[in-house]
Amino acid sequence: MSLPEERDVVIVGGGPAGLAAARRLAAAGLSVTVVDEQPELGGQYFRRPAPEVARVWGDHRPEGRRLIDAVRAAGVECRTGHLVWGVDDDGRTLLVSDPAERPVRLRGRYLIVATGAYERPFPFPGWQLPGVTTPGFAQHLAAADHTPVGERVVLAGSGPFLLPVACSLLALGVTVAGIAEAGRPYRPSLRALGAVRHPARLRELAGYAARLARARVPIWQDTVVVRADGRDRVTSVTLAAASAPARPVRTVAVDALCVGYGFRPQADLARMLGCAVRTDPATGDATPVLTPSGRSSRADVYVIGEAAGIGGAPTAAVRGLSAALDILGREGHRPRAGELRGLAADGRRLERFKSLTDALYPTPADLARLLRPTLPDTATLCRCEAITAGEVRRTAGTAAGDVNATKAWTRAGMGPCQGRECGFAVSAVARTSSDVFPSRLPVRPVAVATLLEMAGEGGPA
Amino acid sequence: MSAEAPVTAASRARTVTIEVNGRPVSVVEGVSLAAALVGDRTWTFRRNPVSEEPRGPFCGMGVCLECEVMVDGRPGVRACLTPVRPGMSVRTAGAGEGS
Ligand code: FES
Repeated sequence: MSLPEERDVVIVGGGPAGLAAARRLAAAGLSVTVVDEQPELGGQYFRRPAPEVARVWGDHRPEGRRLIDAVRAAGVECRTGHLVWGVDDDGRTLLVSDPAERPVRLRGRYLIVATGAYERPFPFPGWQLPGVTTPGFAQHLAAADHTPVGERVVLAGSGPFLLPVACSLLALGVTVAGIAEAGRPYRPSLRALGAVRHPARLRELAGYAARLARARVPIWQDTVVVRADGRDRVTSVTLAAASAPARPVRTVAVDALCVGYGFRPQADLARMLGCAVRTDPATGDATPVLTPSGRSSRADVYVIGEAAGIGGAPTAAVRGLSAALDILGREGHRPRAGELRGLAADGRRLERFKSLTDALYPTPADLARLLRPTLPDTATLCRCEAITAGEVRRTAGTAAGDVNATKAWTRAGMGPCQGRECGFAVSAVARTSSDVFPSRLPVRPVAVATLLEMAGEGGPA
Repeated sequence: MSAEAPVTAASRARTVTIEVNGRPVSVVEGVSLAAALVGDRTWTFRRNPVSEEPRGPFCGMGVCLECEVMVDGRPGVRACLTPVRPGMSVRTAGAGEGS
């Protein structure tokens, strides 16, 4: 076998976190390689439009282009279309396949895992129909390919991400028939988001809210999808109050339905590298154990960005820089004190924003409790293996709620997607005791404006 | 309603021709194959091997594998991660059985 290629730092994932780290490390003279599975750098947030789409319709996030250009100019070796599929016996060398599927072995004195996040779907009868997708798919089609996911679309799920996706669809002339939000974040209504002077990050959300209000897109709060119907493609979606899934409140004709409940860290590579992980008490998701600068239980492995815990793109960039500065410190470089202080201040400001949005929307643990009773036994739970929720429930009963045993016996979550699509649902359905997904007090029904003002206190410099 | 601007702009975009189940389809250069098929109103990309149900792209980021199609005779190509190339020949499972 060929000798591994050696670098100072190998970064897996070329999104906001990986790129921020790569740029800083290369600027300090270290040899850095970024590996990414996608054909272009940028990750999901800075997903690059096809060049022809950018030429004719413009670039939805030009700052992504600038960051990628800066990374290349700093001398970072960028290997796109490269899939990291394993770790060699030494526990350090990454097993990679290049775009022509030839094997490549890469080893870094430091390894940075910046593998981002998956969306968090939750099943319902008909979720496997063509035309039912994640909101992320609709967003990529709109932003990168200038292609509408449908002509008449319902968005559903929970979290702030549904708002920009709806706006992207509107910009393409799509009819957004409505947004079903499982929680009650918008009090008294979506307009509340626009009603206050708030920190810059919230201005973005408020802008989406205003656009949706102008287009008179209905927001149905406390509402979940209970079924989708159609033969070869979805033709209608049925919605109900989250608290009364058996009593549907409306059926809407659609040709696409996009459902997602936020994001989950993609920490598989960190686990494969032997980094310690724990179950995040707030989310129930497996999350790497890290120092504030992103160092894992293995001193040579860092985990940054969404893979370290969901925080959004600006947080991802801060984590990338923090890890870079930690590595540079260990290599005997002395970063300017101002750089460290500025980074810490950015981190604190973003943390405030995150706790605000977290307070607005139901937590994953809340969602698991909320959604579990909406899923009938007949629904397909595992898309890959076509296993029903009933099969998983029965097995989980026998396995006393042991998620791994349930997976092994039903094969749910053992298909080609490796449980990335159904994993949250399998856990939500199989675990019956309430202590596994630790609960927290429900969000009090305070006005959005109040929360926003609180978050703005001592706000951005 | 707002169809005017996109249509005008679309006429300025360079296109390439690919072949979908034997039929020529004109698509904007460089877009993902998933977008090209969806834009052509093709939603059944594959069939589930267990249930035989039609399936189409779901995640758009390479995770779910529901967008796998055959490209130039190679099976299992994820359409969401594959940019279109002029002349590429694509086969989906939705082309009606036996075609
Ligand atoms: S749409 Fe999920 S892998 Fe392509």
